[in-house]
Amino acid sequence: MTFRESIVDALVDVRLNKGRTTLQTLGVILGVASLVAVQGLTDAGRRQALNFFSELGGLRKILVLNKPIKERVQSARQLASDGLTWGDVQAIKRDVTYATQVDPISTNDLMVRSPSYLKERTIHGLTPDYQAVYKYFPARGRFLIDDDMASMARVCVLGDTAARLYFGNEDPLGKTLFIGDVGFRVVGVMRRKEFFFNEGDQNALEWMNRLTIIPITAMYARFTGDEKKRVNYINVMVDKVENNRKATLEIKKVLFRRHGGVEDFEVYNREERLRQQQSQGQVFDITFLVTGVVSLIVGGIVIMNIMLASLRERIREVGVRKALGARGLDVALQFLVESVLVTSIGGIVGLPLGMVFAGAITALIGQPAIITPRMAVVSVVASVATGLFFGLYPAVKAARLNPVEALRYE
Amino acid sequence: MREAAAAPQGAPVIHLQDVTKVYDSGDNAVHALRGVSLEVGAGEAMAIIGPSGSGKSTLMHIVGCLDVPSSGEYFLAGTPVSRMSSRELARIRNQRIGFVFQAYNLLPRATILRNVELPMMYAGVPRAERQDRAREALRRVGLAERARNLPSQLSGGQRQRVAIARALVNRPSILLADEPTGNLDTQTGREILELFDELGAQGHTVVLVTHDMNVAAHAQRVIRLVDGQVANGQHAAPPAAGGPVA
Repeated sequence: MTFRESIVDALVDVRLNKGRTTLQTLGVILGVASLVAVQGLTDAGRRQALNFFSELGGLRKILVLNKPIKERVQSARQLASDGLTWGDVQAIKRDVTYATQVDPISTNDLMVRSPSYLKERTIHGLTPDYQAVYKYFPARGRFLIDDDMASMARVCVLGDTAARLYFGNEDPLGKTLFIGDVGFRVVGVMRRKEFFFNEGDQNALEWMNRLTIIPITAMYARFTGDEKKRVNYINVMVDKVENNRKATLEIKKVLFRRHGGVEDFEVYNREERLRQQQSQGQVFDITFLVTGVVSLIVGGIVIMNIMLASLRERIREVGVRKALGARGLDVALQFLVESVLVTSIGGIVGLPLGMVFAGAITALIGQPAIITPRMAVVSVVASVATGLFFGLYPAVKAARLNPVEALRYE
Repeated sequence: MREAAAAPQGAPVIHLQDVTKVYDSGDNAVHALRGVSLEVGAGEAMAIIGPSGSGKSTLMHIVGCLDVPSSGEYFLAGTPVSRMSSRELARIRNQRIGFVFQAYNLLPRATILRNVELPMMYAGVPRAERQDRAREALRRVGLAERARNLPSQLSGGQRQRVAIARALVNRPSILLADEPTGNLDTQTGREILELFDELGAQGHTVVLVTHDMNVAAHAQRVIRLVDGQVANGQHAAPPAAGGPVA
């Protein structure tokens, strides 16, 4: 018996038992819909996270952080290590082949004074690479340039909110801002950065609008007066996402060497972290996942039950088929095809329903709804797997019927 | 004893040697067949008669490869059946044997044409050839124009004709009929039996199981089963009770 003929037989059976088929598929429809919704929400969440990350350097960014040593008693080596420094930045630039930009950040809390403002603020010492990493560009004036670095220039660049804070509605360009009592000329005001995870949320990137930026060299020269030239963290941009792992290893190698084997730093591979976050899942996802799996199991049990009942009605038919030359496999296939057909119908109906679920929930939490190919994959896999799994027992049972007893069955 | 698959005319197609069948029903075993030996030559028409419970259905199931003997051996065209797998038995039922049942046993949800196609589906015959052969078989039993009907739309006699068409469509060497006229009125039954006569004349080996002497009279040879043993017949061992039938 060919597979095709089994499908034809199953189609006839499904068509003749519309009511039964409808009942059979309900559980599967709901289960598939829930799982499709989970996939949709996961995909939507991933897209949001990706969009957000791309504002902050994307997946090609590797973050190098200081990690304070926790042991109370430290070895001489540990004491000798300074944490991340300007020297590390140069070494990474030189030795990490996959790095396209190396962007160190060094901060310091200093008094900021303008004609209308006086308060301690966190000042960022940066390099020109910063704007490429964060896609953060000046609205007016300019960002830091290499000349500023070389000359340790007393110039500063302000975020949009910071500029307003210090100078109100006046044009800050060319004005002097006193930072730690040193006068810095304002040479640029940055474009606003905005990102809203959900409608009505706060701007997740407002902190960038509040930046007060000076050349990192000026920071070292004027304020930290520090021979070691510490940095808080370093962003390393990698040429391709695929090279993230290799670059991470290279960075670790360089830093281990320079820090005398002391691990007082951390290297974050963002791509990997994103993957971890995904696997942790979100509340909505888990609810729907559980609902989906439970519905599929219940739906599957219903299908198994109805297949067993239909087998009881068809024992004689199985006997006849066997008398006419059907092998056990032919009979099993016939029953399996029918259960998979029924669950596939559930999958076909469940897919759009799941899209509606996902759309409703993303609308509720103010995220844009998306439709991805994976949702369709989920519906196919979930429905076919349910049909196969729960159809197997009735199918094997049918295949094992003794032909003589089956023919006698009334 | 053993003969090639393509047995010459007159050589035994069916050869049972001291076949027994014991059913284990709880504590007491039921001996359905107690040492049956018989031979049926190619093209022969044989009737198996006997009261209910005499083992004639069991005998037919064994001859039809639906069941296997508890002991003894069954040679089908010279090949011993007892060592065959269920898969091989299914193939034999499909290729070598055609069944006709008392209750017709057509699939109720399938059309007449599809019912007749069924044995060819299990034989893997391509669709186009299958349909041609099924139509031809229906034409032979005079039901070509009912191909698209469902079994429920046919009379009993017509259904049995469909069953015969289905039994013949894979060109089996043996046609097994279990009370083929049991559900039919006398007139229709006679028409069905005439069809069997015709098939016998065309060279089919026909085995009829019945309790009706008039039906048995259509066979060249009659075997009478009593309590799982052959009570007469030309190859039967004890020349005892009963005498010639009909």
